[in-house]
Amino acid sequence: MIEVIDLTKRFDLSRKQKKSLIQAEKKVSENAVDGINFSCQPGRIFTLLGPNGAGKTTTLRMIATMLRPTKGTIRVAGFDTVKESESVRAHIGFLTGTTGLYGRLTPREIIRYYGQLHGLSLKEIEERQKIYFDLLGIWDFADKRIEKLSTGMKQKVSIVRTIVHNPPVVVFDEPTTGLDVITSRNIMDLIRSCKKEGKTVIFSTHIMGEVSLLADDLAIIHEGKLCYNGHFDDFKRAHSGVSLEDAFINTVNGEVVK
Amino acid sequence: MTKFWIVFRKEMIDTLRDRRTLLVMVLIPLLAFPLMMKIVTSVTSAQVKKTMEKRLVVAYIESIPNSALLTKLKGESLFDLRTDISEKEIKTGIENGRVDFGLVLSPEFNEELSANKPGTLQFYYKGSDEGEMTKKRIDALLEQYEEEILNERFGRLGLERNIASGLNIVHRDVATMKEKIGEKIGGLIPYLFIIFCFLGSMYPAIDLAAGEKERGTIETLLVAPIGRMTIVFGKFAIVVAAGLFSVVLSFVGLFFSIKSMSEIPEEFIGAFLTSIEPITLISILLLLIPLSVLFAAIMLAISIFAKSFKEAQNLIGPMNFIVIIPAFIGMLPGVKLDMMTAWIPILNVSLATKQLMMGNADAGLLAIVYGSSLILATVALLFCTHWFNKESVLFRS
Repeated sequence: MIEVIDLTKRFDLSRKQKKSLIQAEKKVSENAVDGINFSCQPGRIFTLLGPNGAGKTTTLRMIATMLRPTKGTIRVAGFDTVKESESVRAHIGFLTGTTGLYGRLTPREIIRYYGQLHGLSLKEIEERQKIYFDLLGIWDFADKRIEKLSTGMKQKVSIVRTIVHNPPVVVFDEPTTGLDVITSRNIMDLIRSCKKEGKTVIFSTHIMGEVSLLADDLAIIHEGKLCYNGHFDDFKRAHSGVSLEDAFINTVNGEVVK
Repeated sequence: MTKFWIVFRKEMIDTLRDRRTLLVMVLIPLLAFPLMMKIVTSVTSAQVKKTMEKRLVVAYIESIPNSALLTKLKGESLFDLRTDISEKEIKTGIENGRVDFGLVLSPEFNEELSANKPGTLQFYYKGSDEGEMTKKRIDALLEQYEEEILNERFGRLGLERNIASGLNIVHRDVATMKEKIGEKIGGLIPYLFIIFCFLGSMYPAIDLAAGEKERGTIETLLVAPIGRMTIVFGKFAIVVAAGLFSVVLSFVGLFFSIKSMSEIPEEFIGAFLTSIEPITLISILLLLIPLSVLFAAIMLAISIFAKSFKEAQNLIGPMNFIVIIPAFIGMLPGVKLDMMTAWIPILNVSLATKQLMMGNADAGLLAIVYGSSLILATVALLFCTHWFNKESVLFRS
């Protein structure tokens, strides 16, 4: 489970950054995330939807303990992200569309590395590796260097890296960005299988199609503030008769909810 | 296995598979000394051979025939003797390269010799590098001729030849061969060791921080249950090891090139090997550890700050000068390790290495060098870890 309470993240902008924002006729706000609240439940897919620069990545990075909140609290699997950050990291898997892999290592070495970092024994790593390598068909290239693999192959390895330690919480930050249809499908399947296994899943996107395919719960974020937070079915009912895209735009332009 | 070792092991595999790193960290240090020495000795011996075997055009003018000198000149098979050139033409001939040397005997030359006076002659030459070297061949011939004149005079007067020597100076150089070698090459070796220590660390430092950011692998590492300090120390240890490994390899290259080079005299090889006895070598390596830590910490901090591999290269590139200048000053003759230079980073290590090779290192000054280098390295490392914890640096965009 993930609980986000009154979460704020403030970045100190340099003079140059402020100037470029003004030039682009954008609002100069140093709060990338501004007092948001939500919770994600196990066995459900929580979708964070918002345009570019809305604060999605910042929120997810705070959940994953990469960034410290300026204000507010986040609890992941019962652990505080600031006070118990290492325990939080032991309980999450994290995948983004731009996540890279070490080009000079092989898939087998990468899985062993992350497995060991998560405290798994070599035997446990072997067992889990077998399950996922069988499932995703990785054995054929298990000992080839990552730099020699196709994008699809790499993404399969990334998937195994994300869940090798069987985390109860999985964070996906725009996981399909830049990927082709087949590779995106693999990611979508992973998200669904995580849900089936009863994991808490949060994923961010700006693609409406992905929302309608996956979301159980939905939060819409714009300029660091939440514009909607509730069940996706309720959202659809409230905007029946209009397309999802229009519903999103209406929500973003409408009243902000807490 | 602790998490530090897990990170260290992975970074080591990753680093050793990077061709660019291998080239700078392994191949160049290993081959630099053998190649450098081979090139220097080959070029020098080829140059000497060329100068000694070059046919020289020697213009000779005498108002009254002096058969003795002329016979000597004619006896040299590698001289093309020209007696048909005027004194004015000699000067222009040397300037435009048609003539190498000119000897012009004064009209009173024979009279002067007969009167037991020095015979006056003008010796025209061009004092460029090659000219200076070939000039020695004419000098040797003239000295031989002068000796014959003097022997004839002393014999005629019934005197011993050595009556003309007022002093018999016997030079007793108390410097050991180790000190002489230390003075001659003791400056160059630490210079090269420092450069290799820097270069060896450079690519791993860039790749393990800026490269990791560029590839997007940093996020996966930051969400693993491992402290940021452990990540930094794991990476840092590899960068330090890479620098020291380069130094050790450059030493191996130096050792084998000296041992295998036939052009180097046996006496020199023996003295060199005694000047780098195990205790000296260990002391030099110990000196280079804090320096390597300093380099690693600074370069890793810069690399963490950089957004990309290229930016890190651009930022670290100018550091070359900061390293080269003090290392070069340490190579200059006369610059010694004292209470002031012992505090100057890089220069102090260079000078201390030189003293260690000469075998006359001052324990107190060495302690200052070790101490100050360690303090500086610790500060740099603390800064590096602080930097790695800064969100604005780690996620700089």
